[in-house]
Amino acid sequence: MHNLLDDYAHDNALRDVSARLKLLLGLASMLICVSAPTPAAALFVAATLSLAVVLLARIPGRVYFHLLLLPLSFALLSACVVAFMHGDGRTLFSLPIFGLDLAVKEEGANLALLLLARTFGGMCSLYFIALTTPMIEIFATLRYLHLPTSFIELSMMIYRYIFVFLDQAARIHSAQVMRLGDSGARRSLDSFAMLSSVLFLRSWEQGERLIIAMDSRCYDGKLDIMEQAVKATGRQMLAVGAHLALASSIAVLCREPSLL
Amino acid sequence: MSGMTSIIETRDLSYSYGDGTQALRNVSISLQAGRKVALVGPNGAGKSTLMLMMNGILRPSSGEILFAGRPLQYDASSLRAVRRAVGMVFQNSDDQLFAPTVYQDVAFGPTNLGYPAEKVKRYVGFALQYVGLSGYERRPPHHLSGGEKKRVAIAGILAMEPQVMILDEPTSNLDPASSEEIMEMLDELNQGGKTMIISTHDVDLAYRWADEIILMKDGDVIRRGSGPEVFMDADLIRDARLKPPLVVDIYQELVSRGIASGARPPRNILELCDLLQPTGEGRGRPLGKIYIWDVDDADGVEIKSMIDRMENCCKGAMGTGAKLLAERSGIPMDFTYGVIDKCILKALIGKDALIMTSGGMVEHTMKRISDYSRESGAGIEAIRTPRP
Repeated sequence: MHNLLDDYAHDNALRDVSARLKLLLGLASMLICVSAPTPAAALFVAATLSLAVVLLARIPGRVYFHLLLLPLSFALLSACVVAFMHGDGRTLFSLPIFGLDLAVKEEGANLALLLLARTFGGMCSLYFIALTTPMIEIFATLRYLHLPTSFIELSMMIYRYIFVFLDQAARIHSAQVMRLGDSGARRSLDSFAMLSSVLFLRSWEQGERLIIAMDSRCYDGKLDIMEQAVKATGRQMLAVGAHLALASSIAVLCREPSLL
Repeated sequence: MSGMTSIIETRDLSYSYGDGTQALRNVSISLQAGRKVALVGPNGAGKSTLMLMMNGILRPSSGEILFAGRPLQYDASSLRAVRRAVGMVFQNSDDQLFAPTVYQDVAFGPTNLGYPAEKVKRYVGFALQYVGLSGYERRPPHHLSGGEKKRVAIAGILAMEPQVMILDEPTSNLDPASSEEIMEMLDELNQGGKTMIISTHDVDLAYRWADEIILMKDGDVIRRGSGPEVFMDADLIRDARLKPPLVVDIYQELVSRGIASGARPPRNILELCDLLQPTGEGRGRPLGKIYIWDVDDADGVEIKSMIDRMENCCKGAMGTGAKLLAERSGIPMDFTYGVIDKCILKALIGKDALIMTSGGMVEHTMKRISDYSRESGAGIEAIRTPRP
């Protein structure tokens, strides 16, 4: 039953690698992606982390590809807009529509490419974290970083109940579809509104039951966080260090926006 | 019931919800320590309300609750004390399991009791081992089955070492095998000295499991007594929108046809069989023997050799430890619940049986079988097998 990112996070070949190291790799890669002036570094990050996800974490390639498709289609769309709307320089090509001359200029094209590459690299970094690191270990890392306890505890409970409500939403949706609640756009919209309001009420009730459940176990403002046992090995640290060094040197060296 | 200590007592307990609905009306009951009690009644009878009062979640509109002879106080520290002593397992496990991992959830109680980290860890380990879920520490609850969630919920309560455990509809939404396993675990806990209170509208379950039935309807307790006392009263049962347990129903039909007679209805299939075929009459068939094997720290090799030796026996595993061991060694068990009764039934038709169990359950099993032998006159031999 693999259909949630969370399921993969709990069951992949990199599951037992130190979460701190994985977070460091993902977040630092993301930073390099968004700060590099040319697409080269971002594309490098995208390629290496994708390989890591598919080859090292053994996430099925098809699944990963489908996951990437969604944000990429958005990025492609916005890149098109940017390409047409932006910039100066040599006109690469133009489309005359209704007397308006829609032209793609050099600067705009470069910016669009950069945007696309950054989004792509950023998404790959994010997916790397999401597909290899279970939320619980992220919580443990957050505490290690001394984030406020109430923030972490709240996140933990929200995380836990996402699945309860996801389940309920799926059941309500089936009940609606069973009685043809999805026939036609208008009815679908109505059904969706109903689902949302019911879900809101249920979450409210769930909250009240949660308080009872916590009270009956002597809640005193304490929630234990599982300590993380795994330490990063030297080889792993070396590999991550090398990767980040390589990515940042590409970012620094390829400064000229001269791809086109 | 003189001589026994009452652990929870209610005096004229009434409760109305905010909208004026009266959920409980002058309920006065007293529950003896160490018993297995079932609150039985239709939906809306007030079972859950009564349970929520027993650990101080709801405060009575009038009347009072006594825990171990002392009236319940509603200040923070008294509530902590009573909630620790009276653990509650909710009907819906998702209400109870709010932490993102099994470990964190079971650790919740001990952490809030202020135990040091090392003690919390020890208690969690013990509780998870007891319910047979060692190794599940890092799992998130949404990756567990219904039965496993219920076990985690029970472990979360066990880790606080309660004297009384209250379980609201413990078997609802569980498959039959999981239900039986959960009920067996409750039996095991009761053997260990804990008072057990469950609510249910499964009359068969209540009849077979409980020492004492408290029948509720519309916020009233309409009858208290042993299973036969309560469930033989057909009018009362109909009035409470319940039905008699299947065994009682069969018994009444058999009696009215003159096929069976007896002072009291059978509690289970074993007693029903005895009723139809009294063992004292010497049926000319040789009886089987029941071997009881304490599997405490037995390893896979020992189990294999024992099972080879006992090839022709029916095999039953009783208790979480024995069941896990059997499962891990890949030995198919004939019985994993109702083991003692099933093995006696097999012995009565001349088959030998082997019961794998551990700890205090060994004595309990020996005693159950010898009690049965004495009462029925069947003379089934219970043999404690030495380690191979």
